[in-house]
Amino acid sequence: MSLSRSPSPHPGGGWSSPGLTPGSGASTPRGYSPATLAPNGISWAAAKAKSDEVRKYPSFSTRNSGFFSRQKHKISTRLPSFRSHASRHGYVDKVVYGRGHSHTGGAGGWGPLGRLRLMFRRGRTRVVFGLFLLWIGYLFLWSTLVQLYRRSPLGGGPKFVIILGSNVEGGVMEWKGAREWAIERNSIWNKQQYAQRWGYQLEIANMLAKKRYSHEWRESWEKGDVIREAMRKYPKAEWFWWLDLNTWIMEYRTSLQSHIFNDLGSHVYRDINEYNPLNITHPLPEFFLDDLGRALEGDGNPDSLHLLLSQDCSGFNLGSFFLRRSVWTERLIDAWWDPVMYEQMHMQWEHKEQDALEYIYQSQAWVRSGVGFLPQRKINAFPPGACGDGNDPGVHYQEEEHDFLVNMAGCSFGRDCWGEIYNYRAISNEHNRSWWQSLLDRLRSARE
Amino acid sequence: MQFALPPRRSPNSLPGAHSSRLPLYRRKQLKTVAIFAVAILTLLYLVSHLFFSSSTSIGAPAGTAGVVIVTLLDRQSLSQSYIDKIIANREDYAKRHGYTNFFASVSDYEEAISDDPRSWALIPAVRHAMAAHPKSKYFFHLSPHALIMNPTTSLKSHLLDRTRLESVMLKDVPIVPPDSIIKTFALEEKDVDFILTQDSEDLSPSSFILKNGDFARFFLDLWFDPLFRNYNFAKAEIHGLDHIMQWHPTVLARTALVPQRMLNAYSKDSSGASLDGSYKDGDFVIRFPACDEGKAQDCDELDPYYTMWWKKAKGS
Repeated sequence: MSLSRSPSPHPGGGWSSPGLTPGSGASTPRGYSPATLAPNGISWAAAKAKSDEVRKYPSFSTRNSGFFSRQKHKISTRLPSFRSHASRHGYVDKVVYGRGHSHTGGAGGWGPLGRLRLMFRRGRTRVVFGLFLLWIGYLFLWSTLVQLYRRSPLGGGPKFVIILGSNVEGGVMEWKGAREWAIERNSIWNKQQYAQRWGYQLEIANMLAKKRYSHEWRESWEKGDVIREAMRKYPKAEWFWWLDLNTWIMEYRTSLQSHIFNDLGSHVYRDINEYNPLNITHPLPEFFLDDLGRALEGDGNPDSLHLLLSQDCSGFNLGSFFLRRSVWTERLIDAWWDPVMYEQMHMQWEHKEQDALEYIYQSQAWVRSGVGFLPQRKINAFPPGACGDGNDPGVHYQEEEHDFLVNMAGCSFGRDCWGEIYNYRAISNEHNRSWWQSLLDRLRSARE
Repeated sequence: MQFALPPRRSPNSLPGAHSSRLPLYRRKQLKTVAIFAVAILTLLYLVSHLFFSSSTSIGAPAGTAGVVIVTLLDRQSLSQSYIDKIIANREDYAKRHGYTNFFASVSDYEEAISDDPRSWALIPAVRHAMAAHPKSKYFFHLSPHALIMNPTTSLKSHLLDRTRLESVMLKDVPIVPPDSIIKTFALEEKDVDFILTQDSEDLSPSSFILKNGDFARFFLDLWFDPLFRNYNFAKAEIHGLDHIMQWHPTVLARTALVPQRMLNAYSKDSSGASLDGSYKDGDFVIRFPACDEGKAQDCDELDPYYTMWWKKAKGS
């Protein structure tokens, strides 16, 4: 503004002071007719152009005399304008102009065909929009809903607890290196992924070497105590799945329910003669035992199964096994470790609790009726190097058949634990790709 | 949320507002359908439950009633006349109360116990009795060197009755006298599967009552484990039992100790009875522990008591 004080208008209208800078807004028309405009040449030309463009409308030419106003006009005339086009031809193409608005009627000369097309378009839009909303909802909510369901008692997730023995002998017997940490981190991640997906609970047991187990009679006997503790901690859970640290769950999409527990009776064999690397006499021959004690298959009812485990080439394997909460299980854990037995056997029982379990299975009839065996590859497949190098289809992991779990059993004795875990992690990642990811991968490999 | 007016029956609502949405006849129809659905579901549920619970298995603890008296006789070392006396004593008692006798012979279990002390044979004998009488509820093991002196007393009124057992049960006493740190629990009758006594030194498995079922199988199998038998406990199965009670809480939690004279009064001449553990007239059972150790074919100590029992049994 070039004036410090606003000049007052004359009684006849208009402004007294001439020579004001153009575009300051001070040159005001005296009337509505363009002929009566103030003699500011530059603004007049612009106003004339504008009023040529839009007739019959009152025009404030001064508005267009500003720099931005002029530029705006130039810009807007350069841009394609439906509106100006429409006004020139005297009608409005409603389909184009009214897109998205509920502007009905007056479809001019389009007839019933146009109306149909119009409705179709609008219906499709609505459907597409609805689908889009659904898709967004699916993206953001579906997995949450599914997980909520699986975590609820209805979904059955809380019935299962995964107990992972980690930090084995931590702090005392071994100095953990980078590889040991990597194994630990990855193995825990693996179980977390699986447990989270299916709503199971994961209990990471710290198997820190404790003084109470360091007596020669009680080495590595914490398993029983850890399981007991977990049973106290998760009072609603039914099955407790023990996993050693050197295991890898390969198939995240397989739930424990569908894999084993929905049809327990058909997956389990109770007659150890089916696969009997230890040559255990079964059934027991003692005449003084009752029918159950001498039964080949226990009582045949899956409800009486309390311990599910698998056998490897040298007998029972406790790298991956299930215990059901029950009085039977309490008794088993109680009978499993006994100082008098262990005092006599601790030199022979190289695998501690594993050997002890084999022993009480053989010597005490009551144990047999509660034990079910799963085929090894069902819950405990071995990599080559454990139980022979080759491809024993009963023992070793079969990639094409998508075995559920790999147990790097005995990898710390002369094999490369981290190398094996790394390898199986890669295979597992490939098996668990989403369909989208696998499609992309397939396309990529086809191009190469 | 607060309503200025109660949400229902507000004066503004039209009287026919409900029926316009769900006509009366429709509502009635729905009601009928719902009632039928609930009824059918209930029926299905009941049927499935009945069906599944009725499926009996060979492992079911079938014992609901009945007592079996298990007596293990070593026919190689005992004279026939002595054996006859014991059998007469047991059979008289069983007949009075409708119990069953199970006489086992040590020689039957020789294969199972091999070189271990012969006294271990009592465990397979009880297991054998359970296999032979799966429907019986209680198994009363009584040493062959013991007499039932009070034939009119039934086990039920004497010990097995709920209030009776809970009142005579010894609570919070050391398992192995005099001062083991493991002590008995205060249990309810329904949690008790194993009833026995202790003398001045040990638990006494010469006379005990075991309830049929999963616990009995577990406990007997554990007790009879070869590693316990190999361990050379000084008192064989007695020390084995002491050991199990102190190390295995699942066994202890089903065990009730009762005063010695309830099941296992020692004769006056024998040492080792607990405080107030010696036989007094009217006690249920008298036992002669000295005869267990001796190699005698007859237990001379028993004769006067046998005569006493004979008179009593004839009289009543």
